[in-house]
Amino acid sequence: MSGTTKSKDNKTEPIAYSEAALRNNAIVVEYCRTSMAALSGSTAGVLGLTGLNGFAFYVLSVITLWVMFMIKAGPNWHKYYVSRQSLLTNGFFGALFTYVLFWTFIYGMVHVY
Amino acid sequence: MAELLLDPHIRFWVFLPIVVITFLVGIVRHYVSIILSSQKKIELLQVQDSQVMIRARLLRENGKYLPRQSFAMRRHWFNNEETGYFKVQKRAAASQNPMTDPGMMTDMLKGNVTNVLPMIVIGGWINWMFSGFLTTKVPFPLTLRFKPMLQRGVELAYLDASWVSSASWYFLNVFGLRTIYALVLGENNAADQSKVMQEQMSGAAMAMPPDPKAAFKAEWEALEITEHKWALSNVESDLLSITEDKN
Repeated sequence: MSGTTKSKDNKTEPIAYSEAALRNNAIVVEYCRTSMAALSGSTAGVLGLTGLNGFAFYVLSVITLWVMFMIKAGPNWHKYYVSRQSLLTNGFFGALFTYVLFWTFIYGMVHVY
Repeated sequence: MAELLLDPHIRFWVFLPIVVITFLVGIVRHYVSIILSSQKKIELLQVQDSQVMIRARLLRENGKYLPRQSFAMRRHWFNNEETGYFKVQKRAAASQNPMTDPGMMTDMLKGNVTNVLPMIVIGGWINWMFSGFLTTKVPFPLTLRFKPMLQRGVELAYLDASWVSSASWYFLNVFGLRTIYALVLGENNAADQSKVMQEQMSGAAMAMPPDPKAAFKAEWEALEITEHKWALSNVESDLLSITEDKN
């Protein structure tokens, strides 16, 4: 029941997505994104980035992760994801919170005292 | 680096312990809620109802692949005036108050015990134990508006807004570590892990209609007006034309 069908009805060829697989992919991507946020936050903290530099570093690492996804998925990425755009932008702010927490934590451990 | 000099002991005896305590409490809470969570009782009648609804919907959507007689047979089984399932089955109009259901009450209580109680107890303990320290400084400038949020327990009017007090550091951790729990404990951790497992096993059958009587009536109507149009009526000629094209 739950494993089927969200189809785009173009005239040419309806594309059917497997819902379970889509959900699994979303979970994996979320996992990667959280790890990325934690690791890059720690990196920024160790490097002692402050202010806008740190946020620029976050944007950089988000884009890096996206490029890594694209390299991993290869030329037929649309087999795995519905849209490349949303892969880049989804969960941007949720991961930002994790990033800021780790950044603050490691920065505090290393540079404040 | 800092214009304010903090004792390095604060780092090891206040700053780090708060992070560790918050994290471990979250993990303990996760396992406690697993212990406390009760398997939801499923009533046989409700499962039956929802499965019937699913079957009726499948018939409506995919009935075009059935021969006309088979479709009519199935619809007859659902919709016949005297013997049809939707006509025969009489369900009491549900929608009772959740407060009267004792099982619901205990579930709510357990949710409170595992979520709110640790928050109050641990938060109060941290406030009492580690009160009054400035622990760290956020590495970006903030406006004065953030002062009450980040400097709870330290009321200094001239302190820069980017300094964080111990109590606020605790709250930042409580909210910020959620995604890390998802990483460590897996998706949908804390209370609703077992719930998710159940849903995966029984699929949409679990999501029973709140009021079976109304749902039956709606489904009956929908099925009644469904027109059977056999999708495979031309299948032989289609197939032959494909093979002829190839030759």
